[in-house]
Amino acid sequence: MACKRLLALTTSALALPGVGGIAIADTPPADRVLSYRVSNYQEDDLAASALLAGSAERYDIDIHQLRFSSAIGSDYSIALESSYESMSGASPWYTIQAVNGETQVAMSGATIYEKRQDVTASLRRYFSAGNLGVSFTVSDENDYKANSAAVDGSYTFANQATTLSAGIAHSDDTLTPTDAEKFNRILGAEKTTTSAFVSVTQILNQFSIFQTGISSARAAGFLTDPYKLADRRPERRDQFTWTSSWRRYFRDQRAAFHADYRLYDDDFGVRSHTLEFALHKTLRRSLTVVPNVRLYRQTAAEFFTPATDFVQAQPFNSSDYRLSDYDAVSAGLRLNYTIGDYTLMLSGERYQTTGTSAPALIDFTRLTAGLDFSF
Amino acid sequence: MSRTRFLSAKYAVLFLAAMLASCEAVPAYQRGDLARTEMSFEPDPLESRLNQHIYFSKEASTGGNGVAAGGCGCN
Repeated sequence: MACKRLLALTTSALALPGVGGIAIADTPPADRVLSYRVSNYQEDDLAASALLAGSAERYDIDIHQLRFSSAIGSDYSIALESSYESMSGASPWYTIQAVNGETQVAMSGATIYEKRQDVTASLRRYFSAGNLGVSFTVSDENDYKANSAAVDGSYTFANQATTLSAGIAHSDDTLTPTDAEKFNRILGAEKTTTSAFVSVTQILNQFSIFQTGISSARAAGFLTDPYKLADRRPERRDQFTWTSSWRRYFRDQRAAFHADYRLYDDDFGVRSHTLEFALHKTLRRSLTVVPNVRLYRQTAAEFFTPATDFVQAQPFNSSDYRLSDYDAVSAGLRLNYTIGDYTLMLSGERYQTTGTSAPALIDFTRLTAGLDFSF
Repeated sequence: MSRTRFLSAKYAVLFLAAMLASCEAVPAYQRGDLARTEMSFEPDPLESRLNQHIYFSKEASTGGNGVAAGGCGCN
């Protein structure tokens, strides 16, 4: 037991944040951890004044997540992760501009029932000054399948105060839309996404650490939404992000402050800014409370039209609300309560949008409960 | 390279330079607070993955969280 504690302390002392925002030390994690989460995601109904036809009821999704991570010997670790989603609700089909100038939305008439499950397996090898990891993910729905693989690594230097991380990933996706012949949808299509990133993490002082990085991705193939009427998008999308994160610990207050920023830019014409703040406050030794706020703003894609372009005058057009210009604010609260080897967590988030060009913009509420077991 | 990407690359370099200029040497025995779970860039992997999945499916932006996972029919 004492040996395990010593290993944990050594691991912690050398820990540096690395790939994917995960703190990665150059030794495997000391504990095996089994985690379970159950969440409910509920979108608000579409406003009655914006409903042209169909159901105003938006998506209601239940999500179950399971994760197991463990060291294998002194040089390796594995992580297995799986999620299962069951969803129901209606989806926007097309939009029109009414005689009064207001945009109205036709929703899918029948409520959609859908399930999705995914599994991710990861293996990481630790070296004296770095680590190298691979992961594979399979995602399965009745109308969409995705297989992806990723490789990433980190190298720590400068008295273990600086970490350079990089990675690449590739995903092969296959679409087989339901009721394709009935609604004149494409019978099947392919899509690939390839991405790469590089980041630098630096210890600033005894209480602060900073990370900045850039990433680039190219999506190619069928990028159109097959369930939206008269939706046509380019077959290639180049995406770029710049992210920066700062963590600061306040010992007297027993609190850690998180600040994160992301700039996103793509050749659809979408540009966005995301700013997040969180405070991890320890109230008692076993109880932590985490309030957080997230601010999001995006511009519209160049081919976005508030009303569906049935004439198809332009080569590309979409009335998908997700490609419109809008702002979003979300606020959340999380509680962690630890008893021995068990940690109970509860969290909730409320997300609200403001925008004028797309009435189908969503507001949602997410609630999550979970349990971690370390052994 | 677009103006946005050029500017962000410039700011990234400036940030990095400012960061390196302001950092202090911290011996391993003084890194206990930095190693706390709540100081991690991703304290809860499952919650982070779920949030990324939700934002990916409801917003036009994606990426910036390390290597990407597989796609889904939600976007």
